[in-house]
Amino acid sequence: MKIEILGKGCPNCVQLEKNVNLALKNAGLEAEVKKITDLNEIMDYGVAMTPGLVINGKVVSVGKVLKPEQIEPLLKAGGTK
Amino acid sequence: MTECACCSAKPILLYSCSGAANTGWLADRVTRELAREGFGSMTCLAAVGAQLSGFIESAKSALFNVIIDGCPVGCGKKIFETNGLPYLEVKTTDFNVIKGKTLITEELVRTVTEAIKRKLTEQTCGSSCKPE
Repeated sequence: MKIEILGKGCPNCVQLEKNVNLALKNAGLEAEVKKITDLNEIMDYGVAMTPGLVINGKVVSVGKVLKPEQIEPLLKAGGTK
Repeated sequence: MTECACCSAKPILLYSCSGAANTGWLADRVTRELAREGFGSMTCLAAVGAQLSGFIESAKSALFNVIIDGCPVGCGKKIFETNGLPYLEVKTTDFNVIKGKTLITEELVRTVTEAIKRKLTEQTCGSSCKPE
């Protein structure tokens, strides 16, 4: 599974990354987690607010710091939800 | 209305008709003017139509999605309805512009931009924080 966190590095982006890692641990899943900080790359996803969360190429959340328990089902669905 | 455009950190997203008629051209020009003046951020209507996930999620998270449709065919409105997304719509033909006839001049772009700004401010700004 490939996870991308879109954001310039603000506290919300950092918190989302922590929550993603916690959700992965809680779900017993492994994934490649990549931070995307380049504005052009973020814009290519059509994300108008950060942080953005991308799972397997699909944007599943924009402008929200999802909690680990909110991220877990998204991880289990592999971005198809 | 629980949140107001003046007081929220969430963005207003602007979408323009990209139709071939004079009204589509006017909608595009007006939308770019609104974005340039900081009324909102312009983003791609076609990408919402194509159901690209980032654009759909952005539309779900925006404070308001403002569609500037060119004419009563309302393609922008229909794209948002098809995807179950919230929106506010204005049409250039609501401002005495006739599809296929009215010449698009700089003066018309300015007039319609100002008229749309007034209309949208009424719709997006709560009464508690309207400017004096």
